[in-house]
Amino acid sequence: MTRVFVFTNHKGGVGKSTSATNIAFGITGMLHRANASNCRVLLIDTDSQGHASLVTTGKKDYGTDDSLYTVLMADRQNAPQTLMNCIVPSTWDENLHVLPASPMLEGAERELMGVAGAPYRLADPLSKIANQYAAIVIDTRPSFSLMTEMGLLAGTDAIVPVEPRYLETVGLTSVIQKINDIREGWRHPNLRVSGLIVTKMDNRIRGHNHLLAELKSHPVLGKLLLGVIPANEAVSYAHRNHQSLFSYDPRASASKAYVQVVASLVRYLSKGGE
Amino acid sequence: MARPNNNTSRMDDLLASVTGDLLGDLPQTFNDNTLRVERILLEMVRPDPVQPRRVLPESIHLNFHNNRVTPTQALRELVQLVQIAARQRGRPFNGVLELLPNADDERDDEANVVLSPEEQLLRDLVNLAVTIRDDGQVNPLTVVDISQGVTRLFRIETGERRYWATWLLRDFIPNYTGDGMIPCIIIPANRSSVFRQAKENTARSGLTAVALARQAALLLLTVHGYEIPAYAVGNDFYRHALELDLRAKREYTDLILSAMGGMKRGQFSHFKNLLRLSDEALELADRYNIEEGKLRHLLNVAAEYHTEIVRQIIDFNLSAKQVKELCNGDGLHDTKDATDDVSPSAIKMAKVTQSISATTPQELARALMRQEGDASVARARLQAMRKLITDTERYLVDE
Repeated sequence: MTRVFVFTNHKGGVGKSTSATNIAFGITGMLHRANASNCRVLLIDTDSQGHASLVTTGKKDYGTDDSLYTVLMADRQNAPQTLMNCIVPSTWDENLHVLPASPMLEGAERELMGVAGAPYRLADPLSKIANQYAAIVIDTRPSFSLMTEMGLLAGTDAIVPVEPRYLETVGLTSVIQKINDIREGWRHPNLRVSGLIVTKMDNRIRGHNHLLAELKSHPVLGKLLLGVIPANEAVSYAHRNHQSLFSYDPRASASKAYVQVVASLVRYLSKGGE
Repeated sequence: MARPNNNTSRMDDLLASVTGDLLGDLPQTFNDNTLRVERILLEMVRPDPVQPRRVLPESIHLNFHNNRVTPTQALRELVQLVQIAARQRGRPFNGVLELLPNADDERDDEANVVLSPEEQLLRDLVNLAVTIRDDGQVNPLTVVDISQGVTRLFRIETGERRYWATWLLRDFIPNYTGDGMIPCIIIPANRSSVFRQAKENTARSGLTAVALARQAALLLLTVHGYEIPAYAVGNDFYRHALELDLRAKREYTDLILSAMGGMKRGQFSHFKNLLRLSDEALELADRYNIEEGKLRHLLNVAAEYHTEIVRQIIDFNLSAKQVKELCNGDGLHDTKDATDDVSPSAIKMAKVTQSISATTPQELARALMRQEGDASVARARLQAMRKLITDTERYLVDE
């Protein structure tokens, strides 16, 4: 079964899009290096801000007929075909494909509210083409909206990027609780919280070190910790150049940290998600 | 200041260092090139445009492969074609399920009904579709992965009938509970083989002589290094094989003959030569599954007579011997002598009788109006022609 990683946190600016895009690219690259027969990765941007779409495709003017919005509004029977038609190649790697977001997604939530089966409008068509990809990565918006629910219902593994600050770590439990609610409430047993990524870590700040130590010693959260990404200016420069962090500056500390996370996820994929 | 950096080799080094350290021998897990069976969305699968065995009638086949119609529209065209054919035979139907024999109907005449090729085709497809609905699809299709970039696409190597039956089931038959996907054995593009396809084709009954002729041509063209196109081709493409033979590629002779069902060189040559028939004759012969033994005699006569003789084979169910006599008779291959003493206008009129099926009454009426410019004059012309035809027929009977 193709694993679908959903990067989610209802707090904004914690590095969801950065993590989703770079990890998706990293998985493709690492599978390619391993001569995998299928090293295609699909990145789905469900955030109406479209940052992940912008940096990976160099375009942000996706609209009603070439984006995730199109898929969500398509007839149920035509949705898989529409989904295939809307996927575009990324400028980063030929094996990294992108289902771009559109500003119209804001309106889609309102339009779909009350429509029967609305939360499954992404999961259903995605399940028909998922086996064409080695992995799928979904970037969500910073809120627990219908769109985030759709992403989680399409996912198998929720990954929560979190900043090492007091309020963020307090909010972490509510994020995990929300994911559990979706698993139980929507009868989606395949969904689980598979990892935490601590982002924007600054070793010079005592509070960061203290919270990281607390996270590591936590009996449950400690086991979920996938990696610690240091605060790094290379991230914003990479964004500005519409490049992956790995391509922009492979020697940057954040690049090295992300590669460790990618390696963990590739190993996880190779074991079939065990 | 931002530093654009496209040096991907440095990134490769970064990724490589981790592959060695953390993944160990895990990459082997991903490097699995064995054949695999997967359920694939129907829309991602396309029939092979140069598959010698035609499932759909030629015109629909060409429309579909030239992307003028979707699979559902192609099937709708087929259903409409069959509805017309069935209505002409006094067996109108509304739903495709009505084509299946009624198990409660014990009348003997059910078995005696002669179906047109289109009716038979649709009936077989419906039957297959119902079997898939009730029992599931036991045999996966064999497909070749021809994906490019973000376009995920699989070309059918074997199993085109199951593909169309599944579409029929999805869009035309009630109580479909499937998810629009079809089980397929996926073969990497570099392991695709026309020989495997040929063996699969020849191993089953019902392969027409014309399909075998195309099959022979395709194999010959492949071993002679011709590029096999990925779009629908006409008979002229297969006719390139008429200039080729097995002798030039002796190393492939056994392989080709084996893929053709173990036939002998002579038989192979007979089948290949069928491609000399006219396009219309080929289509008719393919639709009505006329044997090679009958068709080979047509090669002795001029191409303009092929279609007419094929029609006679169909209408009068002629035996191979009768076809041979017909083709060796006077007036077909030696047309010049027989027509020396008749006027050119009589020859023109005689030719017109051969192309009647290609003209509709409406078209003829329009053409007459354009020629005469007046309806009453056009009618007078027709009446004069009718008298001529009646007199000619009487003359033929007297003779």
